[in-house]
Amino acid sequence: MNDDLDRELQTHLDLEAEERREAGIPAEQARFEALKTLGNQAHIKEEVRALSPLAAVEDLLQDVRYGLRMLVKNPTFTAVAAGTLALGIAANTAMFSVVDAVLLQPLPYAQADRLAMVWENVNLPTYKNQRNASAAGNFHDWDTQNRVFSDMAAVGARSWNLTGSGEPMRVDGEAVSAALFRVLQVAPILGRTFTSEDDTPAGASVALLAHGFWIDRFGGDPKMVGQTIRLNDRPYTVIGIMPRGFYFPDPDGELFVPLALTPQQLATHDGHSLTVVARLKPGATIAEAQSDLDGVAARITQANPTTNTGTGVTVLSLHDQVVGDVRTALLVLLGVVGLLLLMVCANIGNLLLSRASTRRREFAVRAALGAGRGRLVRQLLTESTLLAALGGVGGLALAFWGVAAVRTLAPAGLPRIATVSVSAPATLFNFGIALLAGLVCGLAPASRWHRSDLHETLKADTRGSADRSGARARGVLIVIETALGVIVLVGAGLLLRSFLELERVPLGFRPEQILTFRAALPASRYDTGAKRTAFYQKLVERLRALPGAQSASGTSSLPLSRSTRSEGIMIEGAPPPAPGQIPLVDYRSVTPGYFSMMGIPLLRGRDVAWSDTPASEPVIAISDAMARKFWPNQDALGKRIRRNASAPWLTVVGIVGDVQHTDLVHQPRPAMYLPPYQDHGTRDVIADWAVKTSGDPAAVGTAIRTAVWAIDSQLPITRVQTLERLRSAATAQEQFNLLLVGVFALVALILAAVGLYGVTSYAVAQRTRELGIRLALGAQPGDVLRAVLGQVARLAAAGLAIGIVVSLALTRVMATLLFGVGARDPMTFLGVGGLLALVSVVACYIPARRAMRVDPVVVLRS
Amino acid sequence: MTDREVHRDRSVNEKIVFNLLAWSNVYPNDGRLSTMKTTGLLQGTLDMLILRTLLFGPAHGHQIAKHIHSTTDDILRLEHGSLYPALHRLERQGWVAAKWEVLGERKRECKYYRLTPAGRKQLAAEESNWNRVAKAIARVMRVPVKV
Repeated sequence: MNDDLDRELQTHLDLEAEERREAGIPAEQARFEALKTLGNQAHIKEEVRALSPLAAVEDLLQDVRYGLRMLVKNPTFTAVAAGTLALGIAANTAMFSVVDAVLLQPLPYAQADRLAMVWENVNLPTYKNQRNASAAGNFHDWDTQNRVFSDMAAVGARSWNLTGSGEPMRVDGEAVSAALFRVLQVAPILGRTFTSEDDTPAGASVALLAHGFWIDRFGGDPKMVGQTIRLNDRPYTVIGIMPRGFYFPDPDGELFVPLALTPQQLATHDGHSLTVVARLKPGATIAEAQSDLDGVAARITQANPTTNTGTGVTVLSLHDQVVGDVRTALLVLLGVVGLLLLMVCANIGNLLLSRASTRRREFAVRAALGAGRGRLVRQLLTESTLLAALGGVGGLALAFWGVAAVRTLAPAGLPRIATVSVSAPATLFNFGIALLAGLVCGLAPASRWHRSDLHETLKADTRGSADRSGARARGVLIVIETALGVIVLVGAGLLLRSFLELERVPLGFRPEQILTFRAALPASRYDTGAKRTAFYQKLVERLRALPGAQSASGTSSLPLSRSTRSEGIMIEGAPPPAPGQIPLVDYRSVTPGYFSMMGIPLLRGRDVAWSDTPASEPVIAISDAMARKFWPNQDALGKRIRRNASAPWLTVVGIVGDVQHTDLVHQPRPAMYLPPYQDHGTRDVIADWAVKTSGDPAAVGTAIRTAVWAIDSQLPITRVQTLERLRSAATAQEQFNLLLVGVFALVALILAAVGLYGVTSYAVAQRTRELGIRLALGAQPGDVLRAVLGQVARLAAAGLAIGIVVSLALTRVMATLLFGVGARDPMTFLGVGGLLALVSVVACYIPARRAMRVDPVVVLRS
Repeated sequence: MTDREVHRDRSVNEKIVFNLLAWSNVYPNDGRLSTMKTTGLLQGTLDMLILRTLLFGPAHGHQIAKHIHSTTDDILRLEHGSLYPALHRLERQGWVAAKWEVLGERKRECKYYRLTPAGRKQLAAEESNWNRVAKAIARVMRVPVKV
């Protein structure tokens, strides 16, 4: 092709020259004139070549080859740029992987988008909860009266002591309606699921095993179907094995048994403990379901005003149910890493700009030789895209590590975190943003080239020329970068302030040096209060006698364990409450000595005692909040309450300090404490135990097992952990958010500093000659420093201002993640502004000092 | 032509500038047309002139250039540099076919271009279009100016 054209042009030249020779022109001159008529041959060839469809590919290959050569020739630049890009891309890919797995991937149920959760929506003056667990009666009425769901099922959490083969074991699982498997459209891999006969009080004791439990405990034995296992000392026949990966709703659930609600239970609208899930009929929507069930709930309230006043219904898609709480946090994190990548791009754009300045002559020469402007811009974009491709490969590798880190750090409550991995979509995303980053990075130098004047460049004496359009582009980049840095830092600052606020919430107890564990008594063998109390007393004595133990006690519910039980009460002397106005209080049973061991102050009266028996006067200790709520400005000691009109009166004998029982965020609710031998009809059982030690609490971990099993060798021991750990787990989500955003903020700060440092260095290098002249004419070094600093400080200040304004608008999205601070917390904004200003000054001052040390003699001579 | 002019023209797509016919006699001071709107017409015109030249029989590049010069009495001075890309473009479009041959009295192998049937059709189309445009322009130019 090229040879053909060469030959054609040569023929043309020969003919032209021949003609002129024949006209009598000397050979040498004839040849020269012929060449002149033809013009720029290189350009002709280039144009003809461009006609070929392959030309674009060839050009690209050439650009890539040339770009690679440039990258290899500047290894430091390449390493720094590709490395920063890799970090930025990795952070994005890792966060995207998490978002993809947690928010975007469908749930592991057939047609999961047709599944809905149904909750009681309780809105009472004393208690508000949009997602309250359902009473059996409400579930039954919703199930039978709705017109939008094809099936509805209820699930109640259960746990059992599994005995019979090997060490006793505590297993968690679910009691479920037979309809659950129709709702979720799942079949067992072996055996069968529950029939509606199984799901009645008269039904047989049958159980289904979760796949993981079947493998772990029974070695995946297919003969397990038909075998008997002992749960809480009662025999259950295994009738089926569920498929791998099936769970509902608890991913760690190990067993399923029939819920088998009695007709009495189905008629009662009290006692709220069920989780309800339903499948929408074809064509029905969540909104239709909501309005249909609103009608049903209104009818239930009309029929049962005592229990159901203020009780509506909430219908949620299963997806919203699972990920609704973490969506904001994850999207904020994804947004933050996105901003980070933009900062990386701005930084690299800046580096490329500086480099483009040193390459101006190269490009001018190329343009003079016939390279079109489009071709030059393409060359620049190819180079930055190559950098980004390198960054993309590095980023993908780092992302694997990042995802592993996120999985380790993630709080236990983060749904579906176990399924997070760098998946195919994440890989695609990785290279997608790498490509985008490459284009964004190359944009600044390319657009600048667009405006620069070829002729001026060729003529210019590069030493003295002020590269004005470059300086402007650099200025814009640094303003953008500083502004982005402000946004990320403000986000991190707000999370840090919330976290500190949370940490400052008084717990009401001292978690130090306390080891806790659970040992629950099976009702079958410990069927009387006397038997249970005897066990409690023996266990406390044994635990206290352990080497290193200072004291020991038990409770039915540990603080910050995120679970509580509450009860409506009647107060002596108060008028009977209207429906829906019954005051609710939390209750828990504790052994004597629990308050002093936990550091809960006994404000007045006395502790509960072993001597408080069914034979003695029924007593309770109450929390300060309960005393102040029900007997304001009175002495609560000696006052009496009861659970209902037919229950005995309970006398308040002690008042203790408030405790953050469910979480750190909410005000402590009124609470009462029952003596171990008086459950006052609540059937509350002490299952959580705590030992206070003089040394490391974890050291008594093995000794407690011996102590428990010395009394009852059939009791499983679970949840062995320090109270400190439980306390730390209460802020796990906040710690996770803060840690990630904190790391990102640190990176953002470094990026902003590096960017400012680079711009200042460049400005000093550019102005060396000018500064030298100024110094020679008598300027003081301080004046020179001010001149350089002033130039960059204006940019940083502009970035700071823009960043703060944008942050003021943006931080609202994270309002739900904050505690104790507003989204426009002035302290955070001031702090971030101050920090960035300080860092900016330092980042500028170091290179700017060089301006002071310019030697006028050397500069002017060069 | 001075350097300065080259740079003034840089605002136009360089490729098109180089492709332009040199209308030196029509615009003696400038030598080049420098607006985008006219270049489309001129490029098409060059194609038409080449096709028209080939109507007389196969010819190589040099002959085509000379033919256009002589028939227009050097009014249209074809820049040889723009001829070859045009020829290759026409070949790619299938309007002309090319072959290395020894034709004529000089014993030299040259790349001869000849019109294809598609080229003939294209020429006819361009000619009629040209005629319409020329007539239209002529009509405007002949309107007497009343002072």
